Amino acid sequence: MDFRYTAEEEAFRKEVKDFLDKELPPGFLGIDPGPEEESRPEIFDIAVKMWRKFGEKNWIGITWPKEVGGQGGTIWKEMILLQELAYRGSPGMDLAIAQAELITHFGTEEQKKRFVVPITKGEVKWAIGMSEPNAGTDTFAIQLKAVEEADGFVLNGQKIWTSGGHNAKWAMTYCRTDANKYMISVFIVDLKSPGITMRRIEQATGIPAFCEVFFDNVKVPKENLLGKKNGGAEILLFAFGAERTYGLFTIYNAKRYLEQLVQYAKEAKDADGVPVAKNPIARSRLAQLAIDIEVGMNMGHELNWMATKGMPTVKPSAQIKVHGGNLCQRLGNVGQQVLGLYGPLEEDSKWVKLGGRIRHTYISALSFTLAGGTTETSKNHIAGRFGLGLPKQH
Amino acid sequence: MDLALSEEQEMLWKSARDFLASKVPKTLVRQMEEDEKGYVPELWKEMADLGWIGLPFPELYGGGGFKFLDLVILLEEMGRACLPGPFLSTVVLGGMPVAEFGTEEQKKAILPKLCKGELIMTMALTEPSAKYEAKAVQVEAKAEGDHYIINGTKLFVNDANVADKMIVVARTAKKQHPEEGITLFLVDRKAPGVKIHLLKTIAGDKQCEVTFEKVKVAKADILGKVDHGWDIVKKVMEWAALAKSAEMQGGAQQVLEMTIQYGKDRVQFDRPIGSFQIIQHYMADMSIDVDSARVSLHKAAWMVSEGIPCRKEIAVIKGWLSEAYRRVTAQSHQIHGAIGFTKDHDLELYFRRAKAAELYFGDADFHREIVAQELGM
Repeated sequence: MDFRYTAEEEAFRKEVKDFLDKELPPGFLGIDPGPEEESRPEIFDIAVKMWRKFGEKNWIGITWPKEVGGQGGTIWKEMILLQELAYRGSPGMDLAIAQAELITHFGTEEQKKRFVVPITKGEVKWAIGMSEPNAGTDTFAIQLKAVEEADGFVLNGQKIWTSGGHNAKWAMTYCRTDANKYMISVFIVDLKSPGITMRRIEQATGIPAFCEVFFDNVKVPKENLLGKKNGGAEILLFAFGAERTYGLFTIYNAKRYLEQLVQYAKEAKDADGVPVAKNPIARSRLAQLAIDIEVGMNMGHELNWMATKGMPTVKPSAQIKVHGGNLCQRLGNVGQQVLGLYGPLEEDSKWVKLGGRIRHTYISALSFTLAGGTTETSKNHIAGRFGLGLPKQH
Repeated sequence: MDLALSEEQEMLWKSARDFLASKVPKTLVRQMEEDEKGYVPELWKEMADLGWIGLPFPELYGGGGFKFLDLVILLEEMGRACLPGPFLSTVVLGGMPVAEFGTEEQKKAILPKLCKGELIMTMALTEPSAKYEAKAVQVEAKAEGDHYIINGTKLFVNDANVADKMIVVARTAKKQHPEEGITLFLVDRKAPGVKIHLLKTIAGDKQCEVTFEKVKVAKADILGKVDHGWDIVKKVMEWAALAKSAEMQGGAQQVLEMTIQYGKDRVQFDRPIGSFQIIQHYMADMSIDVDSARVSLHKAAWMVSEGIPCRKEIAVIKGWLSEAYRRVTAQSHQIHGAIGFTKDHDLELYFRRAKAAELYFGDADFHREIVAQELGM
């Protein structure tokens, strides 16, 4: 047993840290994981720049085969990169990564060349066309129809909660191609196609990060079908099973906030001139967050190790997602408590502390138990046949 | 990074599980709760013969030369089995400080017998103020010629009723900082002036009031340096918190497994109750508590084995498990319904042990404070 990273891995971590120090604006306070904050213009500019720079460093798809533009590197190296990005709250790492994994697994050689290689260069942004107004947790209830014609497919319907759709070139779009609920197909859709319109939706955080995407006789060439027609269920299951990073993002994100809060607590003083850090209640709550984060990081180490050993990871991925989401919500609340009356101030308000980040994450964290599969779905996975082996729910 | 157990560790784990499953039925566990000694001498001897009691001690003194991580693996199985007896007290509270801080004479006099199962030990630290803090050490040891005279009352002393020898934490000087002026003394239970009274506790674990009335201790029986004993106590507290966490982890794992099985077996409304979503979600929550604790426990134990300072990591796991083990047992009771609420069922053994363990060597509040210090607050 050895919990240490190798010297080479630690050197890579330092390389990533130094890179972020150099490339991120000075005093950058960090953003929450995901494309949501890229809907703020100043963040979008940084995101586009960073995504391209990741490509230049050959850091996109570290574990992917060299033929598609990856490094053929280790899971550890990839996880170190993602940990550091989440910890710094760096924008840039695009949803494209997860889509590239699907294409690498299910795509033709031509698709890998056409889609994955540009992703590894950090040249193109992606969105996910999955949820619909009547298909949230019940993913297979999707109704966006894809009808096969001579020269391709024609899509009609809509998607919703499409994060960053307005900034993306391609969307991995899950469509109905048969009346049977589980017969769905996955298409790579050019979001500039004729017939596509978008409506921006403002999230509770105040950022218009979501889109509603309408498809009106949108033509998609046959070459953009991923995998088999009606073979989308397998792709969906693979996507969920391979999703090991969501929990990682939330936990390392929380680590940054905690450090900012601890620093604040050391500096801010109460009416008696005593640092907030000496207040027993603040100490206890911040310490508990530190414990939750440390425990979560350890879960992450075990998950990553299991992945390197080819062990099934559905249960630990789901466990860490639940833990991470809950933790971030608690953190937002504790952060508000520690900041007191300063907690709710908006980032552009006079007197705001910590750049208003606590106000943002307090609301943003609501989505961490929803996006990428709800906590309830995760708990179903933990309990079911890929986890604790409990009998099928009725 | 490699989180696999070695082949040797896998063997230790499996053999411990098998041995304890066959030798420590729950009827014995319940019997020992009422028993005055709280352990079975024959079983103690068997564990000594297996090399368990000597596991972490140098082979030079009759030990196995194993590391703390190996001890933790063993302790997990002991927690799973609810093993009664003075194992943690003897090995962690008694043997380890002697091995680490004792003189050659002390080590030679104590460790070989301890490893053979012929010497039971404990540490007498807490007092009626019921705090694991230096300023709570008020029992006095006054120098008189070539002896010290100890007076006062220690409380909540584990297994003092059966310990042959105790490490008594006493105050030898009043200095400005309470951590200074504390000295550790090796005292025989049978020494004149030592009186033991067994307390009655929730888990039937043997905690004692130990009164010292003019107890004479030779200077040669001082462990470590005069007035600098608290440094040793801090180390022992870390080891003990981690050792107790290991027992808690093993117990929590067993409770989770029991609960999953119950979910599969118990039928109501024509279906196993484990097919109801809320029951599945309760168990998902429990599994997060248990699985996260295991890897965090192993990390801290590995760090101790490697000699890497890990005050924070130990506080993290004891702080986590102090609440997680309680949550797991309480949730399990909710799932088990009435049958779990009886003494006919094993579950309540774990529920009571979870509470006792929560309080040993610092509860969650205590360890959160350590984490706060480690964060620089």
